[in-house]
Amino acid sequence: MTKKRVLLVDDNATVRGAVRPLFDSHPNFEVCGEAEHGREAVEKAPSLRPDLIVLDLSMPVMNGLDAAPLLIKILPDVWLILFTAHDGPEVSRLAYSAGIHAVIPKSKAATHLIAQAEALTARRRYAAGYN
Amino acid sequence: MADDTPSNPNLRFPEWQVAYQAALLEVDPQKLPERLKAAEAAIFLRQQALANSPDGHAERQAIEDAMHALGFLQTEKLGYPDWKK
Repeated sequence: MTKKRVLLVDDNATVRGAVRPLFDSHPNFEVCGEAEHGREAVEKAPSLRPDLIVLDLSMPVMNGLDAAPLLIKILPDVWLILFTAHDGPEVSRLAYSAGIHAVIPKSKAATHLIAQAEALTARRRYAAGYN
Repeated sequence: MADDTPSNPNLRFPEWQVAYQAALLEVDPQKLPERLKAAEAAIFLRQQALANSPDGHAERQAIEDAMHALGFLQTEKLGYPDWKK
C-alpha cells in the first residue's frame, strides 16, 4: 500500500517535532514536508503533493482558516485537518466553512490525530466523540 | 548561557506556567516571539502528558485560559492574522 503523504503546518517547531514521529512511525503515512505558516504551505503544496495537510489555526503571515481554501484550490482532493489549541463550536463552524474536513484539539494529539487521519484518508468519517 | 526565565515557587502547575509567566511578563518585543513559542510548546507537551489522565480538570481549565491569553498576545503584539474575524 502506498503511504499517504502528510504536510505539517505549524509555526511551533516543538509541535511539529512531536507530531512528525506519530506519522512517520505509522505504516500508512510519511511526512513529506513541513511549513511554518499558511502561506508557506500554499507555496510548497504544488511540489510536495500531500494527501493530507495538518494545519494549525493561529499562525503568523497566514492562519489555517485562510490557507484552507487556497490549499483546496491547488489540491482539490487533499484532506485537511485543523489541529488547534483553540477548539470549540465556533472554531469548528469556521473550519468547516473554510472547507476543512476535521478539527482535532492539540490536547488530543496522541489519541485522536492519527485515528482521524486514517479515517479521512480511508474516506470514512471518524466519530471521535471528544466534543 | 544564563537562564533568565523567571520562576515562582507558588505556581500551581510549574511544568508549563513558568514558560507561560515568562511570556506574559516579557517586555522586550524582540524576545516575545520566542517566549510565546516556548509557552505554547510547554503547554502542548503538558497536554500530551494529561491526555490519558482522568484527573487534571483544574489544570485543563487553566491551560484553556492560558491559551486564550497567548492567542491574544499573538494577535495584538505579534500581528498574527486574527482568525476570529
